[in-house]
Amino acid sequence: MRRKRFSRREVLAGVGAGLAAAVVPGCSGGDGGRSGALQVWGGVPAASGPGDVVKAFQEKFPQYKVNYTRFVNDDRGNLKLDTALQGGVDIDVYFTYSQGALALRAGSGLAADLTDRVTADPELKVFLDTVQPRSYIDNGKVKALATAREPFFVLFNEKLRQQAGVELPHDWTIDEFRSTAKQLTTGKTVGAYTVPDVARIALGPNYWYDGNRSNFGDPHFEQGFRLGREMIADGTAFPWTEVLARHLDAYQQNSFLTEEFHLWSTAPFNLRYLYDAKKYPHDFKVAFAPSPTVDGKDWNGGSFSNFIMINPKSPKFEAAWAFVKFWLTEGATPMLKGGKLPALGGVTDDQVITGMLGKEPDKYFDMDSFRRVVLEADPKLATDTRLTGFPEITLAVKQQRDLCWLGEKDPGVAIREVRRLADAAIARNERRP
Amino acid sequence: MATATIATASRVRTEKAPGIKPSGWIGFLFIAPNLLGVIAFTLIPLISVVVLAFTDWNLVSGLGGITFNGIDNFVAIARDPGFWHAIGLTLVYVVVSVPLTVVLGLALGIALNRPLPGRAVLRAIFFLPYIVNVVAIGMTWLMLMNPKAGLVNQVLDAFGIQPGWFASSHWALPALIVMAIWGGVGYCSLIYLSALQDAPAQLYEAADIDGASAWAKFRVITWPSLLPTTIFLMVTLIIGASQGFGLIALITAGGPGDATTTISYYMYQTGFQFYRFGYASAIGLVTFVGVLVLTLLTWRAQRGRALND
Repeated sequence: MRRKRFSRREVLAGVGAGLAAAVVPGCSGGDGGRSGALQVWGGVPAASGPGDVVKAFQEKFPQYKVNYTRFVNDDRGNLKLDTALQGGVDIDVYFTYSQGALALRAGSGLAADLTDRVTADPELKVFLDTVQPRSYIDNGKVKALATAREPFFVLFNEKLRQQAGVELPHDWTIDEFRSTAKQLTTGKTVGAYTVPDVARIALGPNYWYDGNRSNFGDPHFEQGFRLGREMIADGTAFPWTEVLARHLDAYQQNSFLTEEFHLWSTAPFNLRYLYDAKKYPHDFKVAFAPSPTVDGKDWNGGSFSNFIMINPKSPKFEAAWAFVKFWLTEGATPMLKGGKLPALGGVTDDQVITGMLGKEPDKYFDMDSFRRVVLEADPKLATDTRLTGFPEITLAVKQQRDLCWLGEKDPGVAIREVRRLADAAIARNERRP
Repeated sequence: MATATIATASRVRTEKAPGIKPSGWIGFLFIAPNLLGVIAFTLIPLISVVVLAFTDWNLVSGLGGITFNGIDNFVAIARDPGFWHAIGLTLVYVVVSVPLTVVLGLALGIALNRPLPGRAVLRAIFFLPYIVNVVAIGMTWLMLMNPKAGLVNQVLDAFGIQPGWFASSHWALPALIVMAIWGGVGYCSLIYLSALQDAPAQLYEAADIDGASAWAKFRVITWPSLLPTTIFLMVTLIIGASQGFGLIALITAGGPGDATTTISYYMYQTGFQFYRFGYASAIGLVTFVGVLVLTLLTWRAQRGRALND
């Protein structure tokens, strides 16, 4: 058999073809291999609402086709989104959930300027409000718009509350929160999971910052650390050793459903665990109380959130804006099932009830308190707009809170360490170009 | 005679198989897929880390956002208490876990080298932790070391000890060290086992004839013959321990406080949570040099003491 001998030219051609085959699919050119469909990236699974929003949008605007891609909203998922945006992947609209990422993306040319569109539309003028901001404004330019409103409230286990003979509060102070937790503590059930964010309630948005330094010298921060530590020590708040050892922060609902603790300061996204007794077995109704006040101040611990942004490289800006506006003004109703109230309202009470509380709301919830606390109240929500060193400060607060609530560090010492770390993070980040 | 032998060997090496053209291109074609992988996933990232170590870059700003800042990152590292804290924790982790893993692995290897009923099954059981998924290991130990309901503390309760393990800044690192030892002992024992089976039998026979004690035989024959294996294990375990990340990310996320923020986790936080990729790259470069020095010191300390040297 005669062997075929390869010439140098043939070998080079072969290697070149192989390289091309390997490399070309990975590099889709300057336009990122753009498709005809509008590409939307979000962190909420399509089945939890976005899929229905997309469907409704396509019905109203048949000229547009939308493809929704879900990324996992954690460090790795956000990194994937960032690299995709930088690498020219076909993304027209995307969501940002963490404050740190919001500042970074808006300040790094990854968000289109929406100021003119927002200013020109009377329905959207509320996004220009800087007292209770619902948008992220970078150097005077609107770069991101909140799609959701997530107020905090305190949930009561009605069965245990009635057994303990405790009144359901219509308004209360942080001291009353503590005494109520004490009354509700039994041999089997701890009074509260943890304490609401005392400093946030007292100080409102941007509460970590004071000029070009941090604000952790404000006594409310130490008050919050001390309150949590004292309640854990006297057995009226959940032991922090258990929270850390069982990674309970991510699974609070399980301990609430099994009556390990009673008072639960949380937001609407956790209501989905409470209306499905087959999937999440429990035999009690849940009632709602507003967040407690601190020194007469009543900022809510929740916020406007789930920011929608348009990729400035998108060649389909008009379609992207149509989609953004649809989501903000009329399309967000399906998101109620994931516990996300539309940032602009625009939904009826019945829609909120059936969307957020399932098919049998009366069976699982005290509807009077729900109407009073969620539907009729207008809690003071805010969006942080100062975000210098935000991820570093978030970590410092978490680390020192853990040490304090484990009983290893005095609250005063812990908060002074937070202040030191936060000041350093702010100074370092403000030096950056 | 010797010269003739070398000349023949040289001739053999330079002779070509019939029909094959003296060209390296075909060879390159065959190794191209592997070479491309190495270039894309090892060489380019390595070079990138070295370049990025001299920059301030947040990734999100793209390649255009890279700002060269000279040696600023290295100056900042020298003044960064977080970095030195992480280095200290990593050293404790390495210095405690590596020798203990090797010693226990050696003991287990020697035990499993003897004729025991069910020896093959025992070997497999001890090797299992090395191949089990890190998530399964993490979850299992998290349950075992629960301060209130975990099996470990229920046993320790009999001795009046109740460590907080992962929920205590004093016990979290020791808990991770226990897990690292548990995960590495089986692997070490298997490597030692194969080395023990290669130990020169005639030396043991001679020692038996001379009436040497078991300890004398271990000291003079077994240990020197195992020294190359020990060096290999020490070096690979030092590198592995100083890069330890998976279990920390899964179980403690560097906490409580910063009690388990070893250098790998600190680098991860700096890069992927704070988006300081230039600074994280500089940490990576400094760590690489540190691990290299530690490895060379380990290698040099034991050079010349092996049986064959």
